Amino acid sequence: MYIIVVGGGRVGYYLTKALLSEGHEVLMIEKNATVSKTIADELGSVCLHGDGCEAATLDGAGTARADMLIAVTGDDEDNLVACQVAKHKFNVPRTIARVRNPQHEAIFKKLGIDVTVSSTNIILEHIEHEVPSHPLMHLLTISDKGLEVVEIKIPAGSASVGKTIKELSLPPESILSLIIRKERKPIVPTSNTILKAEDQVVAVTPPESEDALRAALIGR
Amino acid sequence: MQFNKILVPVAGTKADEEAMELACTLAGAKNKGLIFAVHVIPVERSLPLDSEIESEIGRADSILAHTELLAQEQGCRIETDLLQAREVGPAIIDEAIEREVNLILIGVSYKKHFGQFSLGDVVPYVLKNAPCRVILYHQRKS
Repeated sequence: MYIIVVGGGRVGYYLTKALLSEGHEVLMIEKNATVSKTIADELGSVCLHGDGCEAATLDGAGTARADMLIAVTGDDEDNLVACQVAKHKFNVPRTIARVRNPQHEAIFKKLGIDVTVSSTNIILEHIEHEVPSHPLMHLLTISDKGLEVVEIKIPAGSASVGKTIKELSLPPESILSLIIRKERKPIVPTSNTILKAEDQVVAVTPPESEDALRAALIGR
Repeated sequence: MQFNKILVPVAGTKADEEAMELACTLAGAKNKGLIFAVHVIPVERSLPLDSEIESEIGRADSILAHTELLAQEQGCRIETDLLQAREVGPAIIDEAIEREVNLILIGVSYKKHFGQFSLGDVVPYVLKNAPCRVILYHQRKS
């Protein structure tokens, strides 16, 4: 697979090394001449000095035959432009962008970037998994459908405890798909299922309805 | 000083022919030393590295055949190789390391870049990264 990595920072450098060790044909594009030369001295002819946002640079890099372009510069805007030029001018089948500001993720997806990777969100997800008291955990992102699978633990004293699901003000796009009770018994919920304290509810929801879902189930 | 394995990168210039003659002299006749003549085809990134560029391959074959003939006329042992690489300099260095040569001999013709004498990109790279001795055979300015 021919993979182009835009950005020769630490992420780009280690990503390039890892992809090379997996046997892929990799080319890194780095704007800074000194950094580019240092990487070329160490890794060989896999680093091209140039601006990965410019069509001329991407053309010289053979982007038209690339299977994937990964933009991992420190600027969200540069990553967006590099991916968009690759996608729309060179028809690269798969584009991946690093996103520093998690609020940009939705915009990137709307603009046609296939995959976004937000280090902030990844760390947050780890915190959610590692800290049991955290009420909402992201289990899975179904990026092509714009949905997320989340798990919400119903705390004792929550407003939803003792209520049936039909009594809750759930956002219309969100669906509760599974409830795991204290005794580890999974239940497929119906509209008459009564929520209990310590229930673990697995729900499918669009990211924008996440707060409303959390409020409906936890009552905060 | 005796050099028993000499790498001579050739690009089909007049300087290459003279460098080849010098390599034969240094290697010594009567099968003393071995000369490796290589021609590197730089492949654009828009093409896969293993793509067959017919025009370049034909030209490279004739350069290597001519180089082989020159060495045979001098009574030297020679092996030729055609390489494809993204950049010429690293390809020469990799070949020198792989074949464990003790000399790289490059013919340099007189070139100007923006009115100034220039060695280009390949020679400085080889000088910087060579694992062995390097001789530049600079062709006299005509």
